[in-house]
Amino acid sequence: MVHFTAEEKAVITGLWGKVNVEETGGEAVGRLLVVYPWTQRFFDSFGNMSSPSAIMGNPKVKAHGKKVLTSFGDAVKNMDNLKGTFAKLSELHCDKLHVDPENFRLLGNMIVIILASHFGREFTPEVQAAWQKLVAGVATALAHKYH
Amino acid sequence: MLSAQERVHIAQVWDLIAGHEAPFGAELLLRLFTAYPSTKTYFRHLGDSPDQARLLSHGRRLLEAVGVAVQHVDNLRAALSPLADLHAHVLCVDPTNFPLLIQCFQVVLASHLQGEFTVEMQAAWDKFLMGVAVVLTEKYR
Repeated sequence: MVHFTAEEKAVITGLWGKVNVEETGGEAVGRLLVVYPWTQRFFDSFGNMSSPSAIMGNPKVKAHGKKVLTSFGDAVKNMDNLKGTFAKLSELHCDKLHVDPENFRLLGNMIVIILASHFGREFTPEVQAAWQKLVAGVATALAHKYH
Repeated sequence: MLSAQERVHIAQVWDLIAGHEAPFGAELLLRLFTAYPSTKTYFRHLGDSPDQARLLSHGRRLLEAVGVAVQHVDNLRAALSPLADLHAHVLCVDPTNFPLLIQCFQVVLASHLQGEFTVEMQAAWDKFLMGVAVVLTEKYR
């Protein structure tokens, strides 16, 4: 069970309050699909993904990004119970979506990079460390119900 | 196996880093040690809580090596051979650590370049740095 200190929680919620969920989510999923093209395997129905600009501008990619990052908001509110919070989603990703959990780690890292680009100097090493811990915790929680 | 476009992005970003190897490297190492404390086991000579002077000095060496890689993008194996020997026979850094360093490298780039850090730059640098990591661990066994 991952444990967050009071400082880590403050740092995470502090930044989260300033995040544009829709924009950040769309960018994170878009960049995932560009930088790691094999992740496109899960999104056959998304339409045009023939170039970086096609992917970044794709409305289905943006919509999916918003959905994913909104769900991340649940993680921020429930840092002490990530496994419980994501139990149902974990079952879904295993049983219905058949997503290799490695993809959760890749997306988590991508979210951290996007946050760094948005927040610049404010995204200090300590802020990064807290967020890396959170995204790793979410990835583990999402993999927890795999069988 | 970098495309012509990817090489342009590698060079573009390197132009921004060149001349600032020490501060870039220091921030890179600080982020690595803060987010992934287990990586400090490979840098014990820097001390338990490395000070800025040590981070700058070692950071510069690291980034200068990246600079060598940038200049020899078509021939990484030959250009990085001494470093590959060092990592294989002396440092023995577990290969799983390289992606952690690469993640921190991307975060330094993103936090400094912000809106200028395009997805194409990120993709090219991710591919390039993974290629460097592969070469550095190739002689392990």
